[in-house]
Amino acid sequence: MYQFLQDNSLYLVLAISLMGWAGIFFYLKRLGARISRLEKQDKS
Amino acid sequence: MKVFQAILGFWLTAVILCAFLFPIVPEITRWYEFPVIPGLEQKARILFFHVPLAWTSVVGFVVSVIFAIRYLRTKKLDDDIRSSSAAGLGLLFCALTTITGSIWAKFSWGSFWNWDPRETSIFVLLLIYGAYFALRSSVQEDDKKATLAAVYAIIAGVTMPFLMFVMPRIIASLHPDPIINTQGKVSMNGTMLTVFLSSLAGFTGLYFWIYSLTVRLARLEFKRSSEGE
Repeated sequence: MYQFLQDNSLYLVLAISLMGWAGIFFYLKRLGARISRLEKQDKS
Repeated sequence: MKVFQAILGFWLTAVILCAFLFPIVPEITRWYEFPVIPGLEQKARILFFHVPLAWTSVVGFVVSVIFAIRYLRTKKLDDDIRSSSAAGLGLLFCALTTITGSIWAKFSWGSFWNWDPRETSIFVLLLIYGAYFALRSSVQEDDKKATLAAVYAIIAGVTMPFLMFVMPRIIASLHPDPIINTQGKVSMNGTMLTVFLSSLAGFTGLYFWIYSLTVRLARLEFKRSSEGE
C-alpha cells in the first residue's frame, strides 16, 4: 500500500486537489444561492 | 454570474490538471512539457498554486486600501464593509500562501519554518492584518470603528508592498527565485508560463467571486443588526 502511494504520489495529490476544488466550488455555489434567498426575504 | 462561475469552474479544473499532469523533463520535445527548474524539479508544480495565492492576497489588500480611502472621503458604511471584507480575504489568502510555502519549505529546505526573510515578512504581514481585525472588534460604535479601521487599513496597505516585494529581495534568502528572479527575468517555457498566468487569472476570478459573496453576507448582517437595535 505504502509503495503504491509512493509510486503514484503525483496522482494522489492531483485527486486531493481536484476534490478540494470541487468542494470549494459547490460550497460557494450553495452559499451564493442561500445569500440570494436571504436577500429576497429581506426585500419582501 | 452563472456563466462566470461555470467558466471559472472549468478554468481552474484545467489549471489543476495541467499543473499535475504535464511532465517535467530535462529536454523539451513536446508542447505540453515543462522544463526542469534546478533545485525544484517536481516540487516546481506548487508554483502554480503558491504564487497565485500570494498574488490574490496582494489583490485583497489593495482592494481594502482603495475602499478605505473611499470610506474616508464618502463616509458611507458600505465602503467600510467592502474594505473589511477585502482585508479579511487578503488575510485568508495570505495564510494559505504561508501554508503552501511551508509545505514547499519542508520538501526543499527540510523544515516547515526557517525564519527566512520571506517567511518572516509574511508572518509580520499576518500579524499586521490580524491586528486590523482586533482593532475592529475592540470598537463598538460603527462610524468610529469604520474610520479607525480605514486609517489602519491604509497604513497596513503601505507596509504590504515593502513586506511582500522589497524586504525579501534586499536580504539574502533561501527562497527560490530562478523562476521570476530579481532581474525580472522569467525562466519558464511558453507552456509553463501559460499555465502559470492562467492560474493567476483563475485565482483572481476566485477571489472576486468569494469577495462578492462576503460583501453581500456582511451587508445582510449589518442590515439585520441595525434593524435589531
